[in-house]
Amino acid sequence: MRYPFVTGGSDFIQGDEAIARAAIMAGCRFYAGYPITPASEIFEAMALYLPLVDGVSIQMEDEIGSIAAIIGASWAGAKAMTATSGPGFSLMQENLGYAVMTETPIVVVNMQRGGPSTGQPTLPAQGDMMQAIWGTHGDHMLIVLVPSTVQEAFDFTVRAFNLAEKYRTPVVVLGDAEIAHMRERVNIPEPEEIEVVNRKLPRTPEEERMPFGDPDGDGVPPMPIFGRGYRTYVTGLTHDEFGHPKTVDREIHERLIKRIFRKILDNKADIISYHEYELEDAEVAIVATGIVSRSAMRAVKMLRERGLKIGLLKLDTIWPFDFDMMKKLAERVHRIYVPEMNLGQLYHLVKEGAEGLAEVTLIDKIGGEVHTPGEIVERIERGERR
Amino acid sequence: MQVRFAGIGGQGVVLAGIILGEAAAIEGLNVTQTQDYSSASRGGHSIADVIVSREPIYDLIVTEADVLVALHQLGYDTVKDSLRKDGTLIVDTDLVKPDREYTGAPFTRLAEESTGTSLTVNMVALGYLIARTGIVKRESAIEAIKRRVPKGTEEINIRAFDVGFEEGSG
Repeated sequence: MRYPFVTGGSDFIQGDEAIARAAIMAGCRFYAGYPITPASEIFEAMALYLPLVDGVSIQMEDEIGSIAAIIGASWAGAKAMTATSGPGFSLMQENLGYAVMTETPIVVVNMQRGGPSTGQPTLPAQGDMMQAIWGTHGDHMLIVLVPSTVQEAFDFTVRAFNLAEKYRTPVVVLGDAEIAHMRERVNIPEPEEIEVVNRKLPRTPEEERMPFGDPDGDGVPPMPIFGRGYRTYVTGLTHDEFGHPKTVDREIHERLIKRIFRKILDNKADIISYHEYELEDAEVAIVATGIVSRSAMRAVKMLRERGLKIGLLKLDTIWPFDFDMMKKLAERVHRIYVPEMNLGQLYHLVKEGAEGLAEVTLIDKIGGEVHTPGEIVERIERGERR
Repeated sequence: MQVRFAGIGGQGVVLAGIILGEAAAIEGLNVTQTQDYSSASRGGHSIADVIVSREPIYDLIVTEADVLVALHQLGYDTVKDSLRKDGTLIVDTDLVKPDREYTGAPFTRLAEESTGTSLTVNMVALGYLIARTGIVKRESAIEAIKRRVPKGTEEINIRAFDVGFEEGSG
């Protein structure tokens, strides 16, 4: 496979561009979208590259149509992605739930900007974290990855496709306007250096008939591909193993939804990713994700120089969430600071995990500027002087 | 090293930042480039930040610039406080009247004289900056210009770069 961009070397590109290239190297061959700042460059890059690798990029009438189109493409056997920002992500919520219920592997990118509503189109925010996790209705489970660098935008997008295929689930890549538009030097591996996971296909006539069964006991059903001779029924209604609607049977509903939860939650160790910095002897911790974790990292270095035993837990995934790990962290430190570009979202997850074993303090900031390291340092020094 | 370019829309400030970043990336350095511009595409202030380091970069925007390149008074006034006390200020000496020690040349005039258009002012200033600071090699910058300027304008942009580079080498 020849790609219409550099592989096996470094390039100096925007986060949006990195996401598009990563998607293509992970096997994405269908993109549907509707332009929106700050995610439009993902669409532009996909429109440029996909026809050159025998893929399809299509502009839909809106974001509802965009996510519907990628769900259809996925059932037709293509790895598929859409990208948007807050207003479009809101429109996608209904079909995000449809993708959960029909167990359709898709990747949805949300480059967050200031909200609610059309808000601050050009400026970064982290106000959609709870929406990414809980935006659609009903009991549901999905995976949310949050990059903090352009390199991570690339790496996490590849990972998003692999997780989507492996667990037959929608995966959200939750970036922000800063990552979207900043340029950094990125290492783009050779194609053979990238691990690419493909979905399980039916292996027996029985599996062909049961697109929502669990033949392997791992909660992940083999997924038939439309057009290859299978007669398959796909519905957002509660369905049995054959895909047939069964909307008033309590046990069938419970079995289906609990399996959708179990296939993710039983594999938390495989899915959840995080990095620890200087936490070994820390008495105070910062928990951060995405763009803000960079400023938090610098703040840790500045505070260490001033003698404070502080470390950083940087979360690559925010859902599923490792509440046990958060409890263990809370047992080791007396206070956890949570800087985030909203008025308190990740904070609530951290607080729930900490179970009162450490005090959890929010360092909120909204308006479109990332916390500076100095601002985090100042808030923590003030907090620790008390 | 933190470098900040400041000017007004239409001066190619962001492209100068991108080309400096690309040149640093060519040399295998870690580099982060961000930009900030007011909504007016021409006439409003325009800022480009480039952070270059051998270490991982955690900063996003320039908070304590080692070098500030100012191509217009409006841009200079907007961000002059972000330049470190002992930092280097490089200005278009025709268009910016600084209130502190500085170096520079009439970049816009040099662009017009050497290429017949003021549009290459960003390249003149970039050449001057690179000659003065040695932040990247000339060859890397030339390669970056070839990759990033519109097709067909490579020669004129390189000529403008070299005018600035020579001015800065003096």
